[in-house]
Amino acid sequence: MNSDEQLGTLKESLLGLDMESAVEAARSLADGGGQAAVQDAVSAVSEALGVVGKRFQDGEWFLTELVYAGEIAKEVMGLLTPLLEAGAAEAAGTVVVGTVAGDLHDLGKNIFVSYARGAGFKVVDLGVDVPVDRFVDAARESSALALGMSCLLTSTEGEIGKVIAELERQGLRESVKVIVGGAALTEQFARHVGADAFAPDAITGLDTVKKWSAS
Amino acid sequence: MDFKERILTAMEHQEPDRVPVMGLVMDPATSNQVLGKQPADIGGLLNDPSMRGQVKDIINLSWNDIMYSNFADALEASIKLGFDANWTVYTSMEVVEDPQCKTGLAWHDAFGRLWEMTTDDKGNMLLNYICGLLTTEDKWEAWVENKRPSFDMMIQNVAGYHRKLVDNYGDRIYPIGYAAPGIFENSWQPIGFVNFSRFVYQKPNFVERVIAFHTDLYLRYLDAVMQSGVEVVMGGDDLGQKTGPMMRPELIEKLLGESYRRVSETVHKKGRKLVWHSCGNIYSLLEKFVEWGFDGIITMEPTAGMELGRVREQVGHKLVLVGNLDVSYLLVRGSREEVEAAVKKAIRDAARGGGYILSASHSHSSVDPKRLEWMVDAAHRYGKYPISI
Repeated sequence: MNSDEQLGTLKESLLGLDMESAVEAARSLADGGGQAAVQDAVSAVSEALGVVGKRFQDGEWFLTELVYAGEIAKEVMGLLTPLLEAGAAEAAGTVVVGTVAGDLHDLGKNIFVSYARGAGFKVVDLGVDVPVDRFVDAARESSALALGMSCLLTSTEGEIGKVIAELERQGLRESVKVIVGGAALTEQFARHVGADAFAPDAITGLDTVKKWSAS
Repeated sequence: MDFKERILTAMEHQEPDRVPVMGLVMDPATSNQVLGKQPADIGGLLNDPSMRGQVKDIINLSWNDIMYSNFADALEASIKLGFDANWTVYTSMEVVEDPQCKTGLAWHDAFGRLWEMTTDDKGNMLLNYICGLLTTEDKWEAWVENKRPSFDMMIQNVAGYHRKLVDNYGDRIYPIGYAAPGIFENSWQPIGFVNFSRFVYQKPNFVERVIAFHTDLYLRYLDAVMQSGVEVVMGGDDLGQKTGPMMRPELIEKLLGESYRRVSETVHKKGRKLVWHSCGNIYSLLEKFVEWGFDGIITMEPTAGMELGRVREQVGHKLVLVGNLDVSYLLVRGSREEVEAAVKKAIRDAARGGGYILSASHSHSSVDPKRLEWMVDAAHRYGKYPISI
C-alpha cells in the first residue's frame, strides 16, 4: 500500500470508528515515511475529526461516536506527535482550558481538548477545579489566543466572572478571547459575564476558536 | 378537587379544576430556606480532622435516617409552597476514606459511582457525581459480585423509605416515588462515559451484560418504589445532552429498548402510571418514549432547547407533560413578571385538554423559594380550567 492509500485508510478507519485499523495505518505511515509523511498523517486525522465534528453538529452522529472518534484520534496522535518537529503540531495557536473551581466535571472539556489538538492547536489543559489565578497565569505565560472555561454546575458559574474580571485587572483581557461552555451555561449567561462566546458543545467551541485563530 | 384528584385527572389527559403544580424539591438548600432551618454543618465537621472519622461512621450508620429526614423536609417545604405533588428519591451512599478527594473522603453509591461533597455559601450540603469507580470489566464484575447483599438491602430500604414518606405526608401532598438512577445511567456512570463509549464498540457483549444486570435490578427497585401504593411512579434516565441524544437513537433502541418496555409493563401490570425523566435535548426520542409505553415525561430541559409547545405538537396527548420552568435563570433570579410570563406560556402551550402538570424543569440548589412561590401563585391564578389565557 502506498502512502496515499495508507492516508486514505487512516481517515476512513477513523470515520468508520475502527481503532485497530486506524492505529495500524498510522504506524505504517510513521514507520515508512519521513517528516512529510507524519505531517500528512496528522493532517488526515485533523480532516477526519473535522468531518466527525460536522456530522455531530448536523445531528448525524451522537456523543458516543464523537467521544470514540476522539479516543481513536488520541491513540493515533500519541504515535505521531513524538515524531513531529517541535512546534509543527501546534501551529494554530494556544488555547488554555479548564473546569472552574468547585466543579470536577470534564467530559465536554476533554472532548474539546482531543479535537483541538487534532486541529493543530497547542492546548494547555489545566484540568478540573481550577482556581482563578491558575487560569490567568496560564493565559499570560502561554500568550494564549483563547481561554476556555467549562462549568457544569450552576453553583460554580460565578467563577467565570471572577476569571474575566481578573484578566481585565491584569490587563490581559484584550489579548485573550474567552469562551465558555457546559451544561449550566447559556448564551445569555455568557453575554452577562462578558465572555466573547458561548459553546453549546465542544465542536461548536472549536469552530469558534478556529475562527479566532484565522482572523 | 384535592391535590391527588388534580394529579390523577391530569394523568388521564382530562382537565382538573386547575393545572396541578409539582415541586421538584430535594436540595436541603431549598427546604432549609422554606422551613427556616439552619443547615447541618456536615461539611465543617468532615473537614475537622479530629471529628472526621466519627462523623463518617455516624453518616454511614444513619444514612437511611438522613435520606428520610432530607425528603421529609422536602415534602414539608413543598406543602408550605403550595405544591400538589413532590418527588421522593432514595440514594444509597457510603462515605469512605479517599486521600485523592478534597475533604479526604469520597461518597460511593451502591452502583459504583464516586461523588464528592461540597457546601454552598450557607453551609448546605451538595453531592456531585464525579466519576465511575468501575473503569474496567474486571472491576465491574468484582463490584457487582461483592455488592449483591448490599443490593438486596437497598431494595428493602427503598420500599420502607417511600412507604414511610407516603404514610406521614400523603394526606397533605402527593409524594411521587422516583426510581433513580435509571438503567442507562447505572450502566455508564460507574464505568465513565469515555470508557463506556469505548466498550460500546470494543466490548459490546460486556455492555449488553451490564445493561441486562441493571435492567433486572431496576425492575426490583421500581417494584420496591411502587410498594408505597401511590398510583404514579417516576422512572428516568438522562438520555440527552445539550444538543441531542447521548447515543444514536437506533443504538438506544438496540441496547435499551427492550429494558424500557419491561419497565413500562412492570408499572402497568400494577395499574400504575409511569412518568419518565430525562435531561437534555430529546426531541428525537419522544416517539420512542410513546412506543416504550411511558405515560408521561418530566423535565424537558429549556437550556437544552426543549420547548413545551413543540413537545406537545410533536406527541399530542400521547404523553403527559410535566415541566419545564427554567432553573438556570428564571427560578434563580428571574423577576416576578418573568416567572408569571413563563407560567402563562407553559399553560398556554401544554395545558389544554389536561395532561399537563406544571413544575420546574429540575431540582437545583440555587432555585429561590420566593420564585417557586411566584410560580405556584401564577399557576393558581392563570391555570383554572377551562384555560382562558
